[in-house]
Amino acid sequence: MTNILENKREGLYCPAGDFFVDPRGKVERAVITHAHSDHARAGHNYYLCSDSCLPILQIRIGTKAKIESVPFGKRTKIGSAYVSFHPAGHILGSAQIRIEVKGEVWVVSGDYKPQTDRTCEAFEVVSCNGFISECTFGLPVYQWADEQLVHNEINHWWRENAENECPSLLFAYSLGKAQRVLAGLETEGRPVFVHSAVHSFLTHYEQAGVKFPKLQKVERGIDYNFSNSMVIAPPAVEDSTWVRKMKKAKKGFASGWMSIRGAKRRRNLDRGFVLSDHADWHGLLEVINGTGADRVLLTHGNGDALVRFLRETGKDASMLEGASVRGEEEE
Amino acid sequence: MNMFAKLFHDLDNLTKTNDRLDRLVEYFKSASPHDALWVCWFLSGNRIKGAIRTGELRSFVAGWAVLPVWLVEECHQRVGDLAETISLLVKGPSESKAGSLDSTIRKHLLPLRGKDSADRKLLLSDTWSHLSDFEMLPFHKLLTGGFRMGVSKGNLYKALARVGGVEPSLIAQRLAGDWSCDDLSFADVISSSLSRDTNPYKPYPFCLASPVLEEVESLGSLHEWQVEWKWDGIRAQFFSLGGGRGMIWSRGEEAIEESFPELTKCVPYLPQDICLDGEILAWGYDGLRPFARLQKRLGRKSPGASILKRESVRFHAYDLLRLEGNDLRTLPLSKRRKKLEEVFAKIPNHLPLGLSEIVNASGWDELSKKREQSRDRGVEGFMLKRNTSSYESGRVKGSWYKWKIDPFLADMVVVSAQLGHGKRANLYSDYSLAVWDNTGSLVTVAKAYSGLTKKEIEEVDRYIRKNITGKYGPVRSVRPGIVFEVAFEGAQSSGRHKSGVALRFPRIHRWRQDKKPKDADSLDTIRGFAGIQDICLTENQGIDENGNMLLF
Repeated sequence: MTNILENKREGLYCPAGDFFVDPRGKVERAVITHAHSDHARAGHNYYLCSDSCLPILQIRIGTKAKIESVPFGKRTKIGSAYVSFHPAGHILGSAQIRIEVKGEVWVVSGDYKPQTDRTCEAFEVVSCNGFISECTFGLPVYQWADEQLVHNEINHWWRENAENECPSLLFAYSLGKAQRVLAGLETEGRPVFVHSAVHSFLTHYEQAGVKFPKLQKVERGIDYNFSNSMVIAPPAVEDSTWVRKMKKAKKGFASGWMSIRGAKRRRNLDRGFVLSDHADWHGLLEVINGTGADRVLLTHGNGDALVRFLRETGKDASMLEGASVRGEEEE
Repeated sequence: MNMFAKLFHDLDNLTKTNDRLDRLVEYFKSASPHDALWVCWFLSGNRIKGAIRTGELRSFVAGWAVLPVWLVEECHQRVGDLAETISLLVKGPSESKAGSLDSTIRKHLLPLRGKDSADRKLLLSDTWSHLSDFEMLPFHKLLTGGFRMGVSKGNLYKALARVGGVEPSLIAQRLAGDWSCDDLSFADVISSSLSRDTNPYKPYPFCLASPVLEEVESLGSLHEWQVEWKWDGIRAQFFSLGGGRGMIWSRGEEAIEESFPELTKCVPYLPQDICLDGEILAWGYDGLRPFARLQKRLGRKSPGASILKRESVRFHAYDLLRLEGNDLRTLPLSKRRKKLEEVFAKIPNHLPLGLSEIVNASGWDELSKKREQSRDRGVEGFMLKRNTSSYESGRVKGSWYKWKIDPFLADMVVVSAQLGHGKRANLYSDYSLAVWDNTGSLVTVAKAYSGLTKKEIEEVDRYIRKNITGKYGPVRSVRPGIVFEVAFEGAQSSGRHKSGVALRFPRIHRWRQDKKPKDADSLDTIRGFAGIQDICLTENQGIDENGNMLLF
């Protein structure tokens, strides 16, 4: 595939350093971009990640796993490869992996978002010869509005629901998105509840300096009066009895997929908030061009359109073979 | 425009029908009469025709957003709706510069008609510099003709009835048929004064039947019901006007009398100022003919003498809605039927007018036996109408039922798919279905997109994404692997499908996960048990891509 990286069954492999990036299956050395479960899987022998990713990765794959971490920007030598982590702006601790072998540089982006937000390290453009980019939202219909506008929308929706004494049940992925939503809430004295899956990551975000409003974890078997509150839960619980009991609740979903009305209507949601942890169309182009890479390989997404577009602008772009297609379940 | 945009987005966000109704009432009470009338016009199912073509619109957007046209097409496919695609690609000014809904339509929409492409492009770019992001989607929904927003006509009538304090049926009649915003005022629509109704010959909202879902015995005693055969033709209301003029309205509320001169010629023999509800049937010296024969008459205005002779029709009446200018709809069916029979007693026999006969039986058992004659008679089963029922607007529970014979079923293989629209946007949910022909190839016989649960659609979508074998525009050919049991009402010869067969109302009955493609049915089976009648069709203009007959 390239001089530096090979595409194996387990995922991207660097022979010079004998390690994999975000591998599947069971490998000896795994370099992890970030702690989402489709990138960080349990079962490998040794892990390497960024410092701020470490505690979150431990929650995901267990404290017994052998994990080492390095600060952002620090060059480490693995075999004959120089490896460094650079902020990807996706979730706390998320990194792009820069791999340099004999003067040639490749960057594996993992998931990334060039827009800054208050819950994770700001994205950094890394110059390289080859760039392996995600392209979850690789069509121009995906264009994100300024983050504060989305927070305002959510706060406005909550206020309106509270006036009608309806709880606001907002679905957001438990790691990353949920914390971003929480950090943007204006409570005006109203209670905030979070599902336990969301709660487990909060302390690490707080240690990293992220400020959250006063909130309460929803415990099993207790009946709460949610009336005018905001409840943040992962979308997986949408069909649970707990959710079904909240009859009056207005339901919203914070995700980049909410750009398209069909996605919202399919879930029978009251509101969709377009808030994504991934790069939008312009973000993808900006970053891909910004890296100065001659070769671009795309993964995670329906990248055909972006590949064709990049090729028409003279870039050597193609899909990474065997790349996963990301459905609407992720993000 | 902003107020209308707010209405649009609110209707889109509200998930409960009653909340939408309340919101619509609120809009009608506060909007300017001109704007409100436009909303009535659009929600009545009207659209501005000939303002722009899809391909043209996509190329204008591509130009504006500096994107290649193919990419705009990709976006359209992903989003599943052109208006929405444009609203995502075209960014307007932060503050709206558009005027009222009425003036926006008159300045930015209507003038598109009759302009050449270059001028249209100029006008549209000007429009895009006026509309805020919030107004983009509503405006383009009006432009591309898809403004429904989960409000049925019935609910529109209810909302207006509440605003005007009148009966929904009165509103329904005022908004029926062809009208434009220049011949009516909003005050006319909601007025409680009857004298404003200048045209009494608009169609009445059709009374519709629900399917019998439980055991038919659950409907109570048979004596409470009037039973008729369910005729397979074109549902229509037939008005006799003064001066020998007749009007015929199809269920789609289109005036179709020009296509059926032999029927309007009967008007002098009918009492003046009546309205019959019934069915136009293909009918000749040999009696009832298959629905397919009507096809030659569809959409043909002023048919010639030879076709009138070869493909003759008959109007089969089953209800009387108006007599000597009086609206009879609120009378019980038994009384309307009696008057209908009195009218028919005076009509000469040689006319192509008939009375839908009443089927008598001692009880449900005997009726069930008679129902078995349906296919031989060329009808679809029974209509059950409660003797006490008034002529309702639309489908009212417990009033009229259709007790149809079971559909044909066949196992078919998914051979290609397309992304769906609306709720099914970005899901491969429009399927082409095939059966085996004599040479051992799969041939497409139908397209279907309904009948699966949300979960099943998602599962099928996952299968399709992993098994795409080719790309033809928006169509993806798929490795055969998924077998559906497909229900349909009948089959006709068709030159459109390679198989030579088109199915009537195909829909997915269930997903046969236990079956493999090799277990699917053969073309011969379908032709065989559908009893296909090989009337030689030289044109196919009247069949849509689903193989359904198009009515006008």
